[in-house]
Amino acid sequence: MAESDLIRSARFRKKREADWRRLETLVSQAERVGLQRMEFAAARDLAALYKNATTSLAIAREISLDKALLDYLEALTARAYLSVYAPQERLGGLVRKFFVSGAPTAIRRSWLFIAIGFLCMGLGGLAGYQLFLENPAWYHVFMPPELAGGRGPTSTTEELRQMIYDDEPSASGLGAFATYLFSHNTRIAIFVFGLGVFLCVPAILLTFYNGLLLGAFYALHVERGLGSDLGGWLSIHGVTELAAICIASGGGVQLGAAILFPGKRSRRAALRHAGRDAVKLALVAAFMLAVAALVEGFGRQLIQDKSARYLIGWGLGLCWLAWFTLGGKAWK
Amino acid sequence: MRLWRRKCDTTPPPSAAELIPPEGVPLYLEVAGLGVRLAAQITDVGITLVAAIAALILLMSLGVAEPSTLIAIGSLLFFAIRVPYYVIAELAWNGQTLGKRLMKIKVVSHDGKSLGTHALVLRNLMKEAEIFLPATLLLTLDAASPVATGLALVWILGGLLVPLFNRHRQRLGDLMAGTHVIHLPVPVLLMDLAQVPAKETTATESFTFLTHQLDQYGAFELQTLEMLLRAQEKGGSPVRSQSNKATIESVVEKIRQKIGYANKVPETERLSFLRAFYNAQREHLEKRQLFGERRMDKHYAGNDNSS
Repeated sequence: MAESDLIRSARFRKKREADWRRLETLVSQAERVGLQRMEFAAARDLAALYKNATTSLAIAREISLDKALLDYLEALTARAYLSVYAPQERLGGLVRKFFVSGAPTAIRRSWLFIAIGFLCMGLGGLAGYQLFLENPAWYHVFMPPELAGGRGPTSTTEELRQMIYDDEPSASGLGAFATYLFSHNTRIAIFVFGLGVFLCVPAILLTFYNGLLLGAFYALHVERGLGSDLGGWLSIHGVTELAAICIASGGGVQLGAAILFPGKRSRRAALRHAGRDAVKLALVAAFMLAVAALVEGFGRQLIQDKSARYLIGWGLGLCWLAWFTLGGKAWK
Repeated sequence: MRLWRRKCDTTPPPSAAELIPPEGVPLYLEVAGLGVRLAAQITDVGITLVAAIAALILLMSLGVAEPSTLIAIGSLLFFAIRVPYYVIAELAWNGQTLGKRLMKIKVVSHDGKSLGTHALVLRNLMKEAEIFLPATLLLTLDAASPVATGLALVWILGGLLVPLFNRHRQRLGDLMAGTHVIHLPVPVLLMDLAQVPAKETTATESFTFLTHQLDQYGAFELQTLEMLLRAQEKGGSPVRSQSNKATIESVVEKIRQKIGYANKVPETERLSFLRAFYNAQREHLEKRQLFGERRMDKHYAGNDNSS
């Protein structure tokens, strides 16, 4: 049968079929070994043939009623598209970019939300402190018994001191690290971030509540004259950990705010936009929590001196601040 | 799995999502259902869990881990292996983890651009918040606190219900990252039916159709006929069962009646009649289409009048 006897769409197909077959093999090769490891000629052909195939698809949709051909071209073009537009970034470069510029700039961009996080925690602390001084019974209202670890208005000053300067911890090293990482504060940080999506309220309340706990706890120790000792005990990891909670809360509030006040975008688009920074805040908070757990697991019980505890805790805090304020500036 | 896909091939998939690559030619890719995704997820969790247990046993044999903190270290290891696994696998294999490869599904970017690192990190971190976090809560909480257990359950259910309420079956993480999951299409080029009858040219020539006869049907009927003819080709030899013969006969009679084809078609020539009709019909419809007249089905005339 001569070619001219074929109907138009069959001729169209016959002319291009060899190219499609070649594209098919190239695509399967690219999917197997990856675009980076393909030969230059093959990669070049892949891109060119992909462009041709998209054109073929567009034409075939207009001129052909052959369902099999349309399905094939659709699938082939999709496969080629997916392998041509595969992510090309390198992992090492990504990690470096995140720490050098991505994270600090995201923190700086969302300073308002982080400030809200710190404000919630601060106000909570103040409220807890005042409430405890007014009536120590409040302590039992806020503090879950398993978190207090037996410390409360009824315990003696000596017992409280014992907890702060404990020479024989129950666990140390890796075990303690893991335990602390999954302790109360990490859970709070995850909750305040995750719950922020639900219109901010849970995130703000939880951060406030955490501050309340802290305030009441601190007031208990101040009343016994152990304020500065507790300050040291808390600072060594707390500066990092509480800041991490506030940052996570900032991320959560940012997500919630995007849903509450999407501005000119649709809610979905606003959420997506806010997610870009919020996820970086979450990663920073996770990193800070890991560092805090490291310090807590290894450092808190090793360093028994009050001033050294203050020094390490706030020194670390200063490092974070320097990273957030200065990181990525040179790139601008 | 196979059965299900074939079924989708025959009917236009209702779940196909449009994706516009930078080239501007829209692609229609079938959105992956929740069942397949769950299966992929279970595979991945299994893989990471095994890796975490192996690492834990290694740590224990080295004497680093104490029995009292075993659970804490174990969950830390699981977490530390799981989170990077998803992100790195999806980055390296272009939106596929091992489980997704097994199930032949794939993450694609909603806007048709290539998948960004940000999107992959975001959707996998949100997976932690959506599923793993409440799941661990559910496991660690005891029956003593029914409120917290109920809360965790509601959380998981809420997370699982989100995909049911949007067309692209996106999780919350997918929504935020701007991605969705598709079935990887398999390109299979079937024979062109318009080229087939080359060896039966003599038989084909004997059927001629006039323009008014070809005006009866549209693209839908043509493609249904195509499917019928392809089913005859399958397995090399035509299917010869009694019911198939009856089907072919009724189809031929129906077409003859509809187009007013006077000559009787003998039993041996029925298939070649259908092929010839397919060829002529396709050529005719494609020609009409080139002139800007798309005939979707046999009711095209009625539609024209009403609009």
